[in-house]
Amino acid sequence: MPLSALLAHLHRAQHPDGGWPFHAGGRSRVEPTCWALLVFANSSASAQPNIAGGLHFLRSQQLPDGSWPSADGISSGGWVTSLAALTLAQFPACEKSVHVALEWLCDDYPRDSSRWQKFLKSFGTAKQHVSHNDEFRGWGWTPRTSSWVEPTAFALLAFAALRAKTPAVGPGLVSEPGILAELASQISDRRALAIGLLYDRMCAGGGWNCGNPRVYGVDGESLILPTCWALLALRTAPEHPHRTLSLSWLQKSFATIASAASLAVAQLTLETYDLPVPSAPRQLTDFSAAELSEQGTHVASWAALALNSSRAWPLRFYESTVTNQQPPATSHQPQP
Amino acid sequence: MNLRNRQLIPSFSRPPSRVLIRKVARYAEDLLAVIYESLREFALPIKDKTVFLKANLVGHDPHGFINTHPAVIAAARESFLKLGAARVLIGDGPALDRDTQAILESVRLREFTGPLTYGPGRDFSDLNIDDVERVPLETRASLLKELYLPKTVLGADFFVSMPKLKTHHWAGVTLSMKNLFGIVPGSCYGWPKNILHWAGIDRSILDINAAARPDFVIVDGILGMEGNGPIQGNPKHTGVLLFGDDPVAADSTACRVMGLRPEKVDYLSRAATMLGHMEATKIQQLGESVASVRTPFAVVPEFQALCEPEVK
Repeated sequence: MPLSALLAHLHRAQHPDGGWPFHAGGRSRVEPTCWALLVFANSSASAQPNIAGGLHFLRSQQLPDGSWPSADGISSGGWVTSLAALTLAQFPACEKSVHVALEWLCDDYPRDSSRWQKFLKSFGTAKQHVSHNDEFRGWGWTPRTSSWVEPTAFALLAFAALRAKTPAVGPGLVSEPGILAELASQISDRRALAIGLLYDRMCAGGGWNCGNPRVYGVDGESLILPTCWALLALRTAPEHPHRTLSLSWLQKSFATIASAASLAVAQLTLETYDLPVPSAPRQLTDFSAAELSEQGTHVASWAALALNSSRAWPLRFYESTVTNQQPPATSHQPQP
Repeated sequence: MNLRNRQLIPSFSRPPSRVLIRKVARYAEDLLAVIYESLREFALPIKDKTVFLKANLVGHDPHGFINTHPAVIAAARESFLKLGAARVLIGDGPALDRDTQAILESVRLREFTGPLTYGPGRDFSDLNIDDVERVPLETRASLLKELYLPKTVLGADFFVSMPKLKTHHWAGVTLSMKNLFGIVPGSCYGWPKNILHWAGIDRSILDINAAARPDFVIVDGILGMEGNGPIQGNPKHTGVLLFGDDPVAADSTACRVMGLRPEKVDYLSRAATMLGHMEATKIQQLGESVASVRTPFAVVPEFQALCEPEVK
């Protein structure tokens, strides 16, 4: 299946309101719209109408506090705010939307690691069957819940996209330097905590699951998608043995991948690290455009990104943004 | 569109519920015959209706004791079609892994059902990415005022919960009522659906079941899981399939089969006041007796109080 067939499919799937649904006949949603927009932003094809429509839809869905709801009608923002921010950061004239979104992200602290929760845990009134280090804080899927690997990774990806566009969290982003400096400082603090959280939540042997690497003393198994999002988020972080171990886990696991979604995102991840992509029982090109779209606009979009060798996201966006900031120490060491 | 029944009926005015237990030693047995004959005993109102089977597909399950077994799902689907259902849809919204296709490949569902179309309202629905509709939570047992739930579930004429017989490290047991966490869409609430944990697991189970009460239950108890469920426990062969027209009665009976006391399961004891029957005297027991299939399950230390005295 050529990339052009997928692009044509995505083109046809766009709604008149500019958004994309997960499936044909469904309502436009923020998440599939973001993934489709990332495809067209990286496409050399004439995609301006698709992009203009998608940007219009995203802007229309942003809540007054800067966040995005995961579905029409939901009155509070959630994890898709990171995805929308990283998507809009690819385009000019979206600075204001991105800025307020990042402010919302910086203010959105998970509840599980709050002082009150730590106080409760110190008296043994909260169940503690997991071995997390509560000093680290990431993001939850919904506000005021717990930190999890994937929403934390998406927030880091949003920060990275912004840094790539405006290296000092940038000139031109906002007009007032004071606000800019404060936001940059907040991003820096949250980023360090989030990187620490990701390494703390790594599964024994490398890779990540949703964020519970060990429950009741039993090691959890890593999963492809959370591992990939975490690795993509850590691409700009300094070298770390946990990251090396997790990349090794992903390379070894690649041969067992049977689904298009995991194949696509794993390929994106390995190529972002300039690592060879091993062979798997099925190749992405074995799936038809209809088959991929049946699995959802997000899967079709991931496949389109993976099949596009000239894509800028996520590969090139990271080339100039590797930092030397050291992450906090983690609560456990990687297994040999 | 059927927006699901909201049957908040006090226990004293609710007619007796029916639960049927069948002994089935292995998945290789003639499950179609067992399930078809069992469903016939209930004379279910499914002629020309759309039936939705909510399976429990948690994740990769090479040994077959985490998920509802695909042989049971396939036999149930075939049975409902034989009984006159116009369409039988299957679905779940896995809680921990958003790659539902990978889970389907892993559990080899299509090897048992044959080809399945994929998407909302089609043969298999990934409920995590279904279109959603706002559902006010009238029971307000948890802190949640509303949930956005999948239209495929809300629109089905007849809703069947098909859990695995398992203990659960946060809720005590996970059966037909806890299985409904899988209709809460991950695209809105994440993987896992952590907002339900913060709202209170037991109370969230009540709210969801009150908003979208299953019409029928089929519990896969041929091979269950004990201990640190729902994914890290140990296999427990029980050799039963359990059917029920009341999720509270079905789950309470399943607890008794597991050597656990349903009145000690927080959400079951609360559900018994408005969603169904927990007391054995209000459950018409069909098929095998509970005593004849009783197989004590181990639980994590926090839930030792669930165990019937002789199995503590």
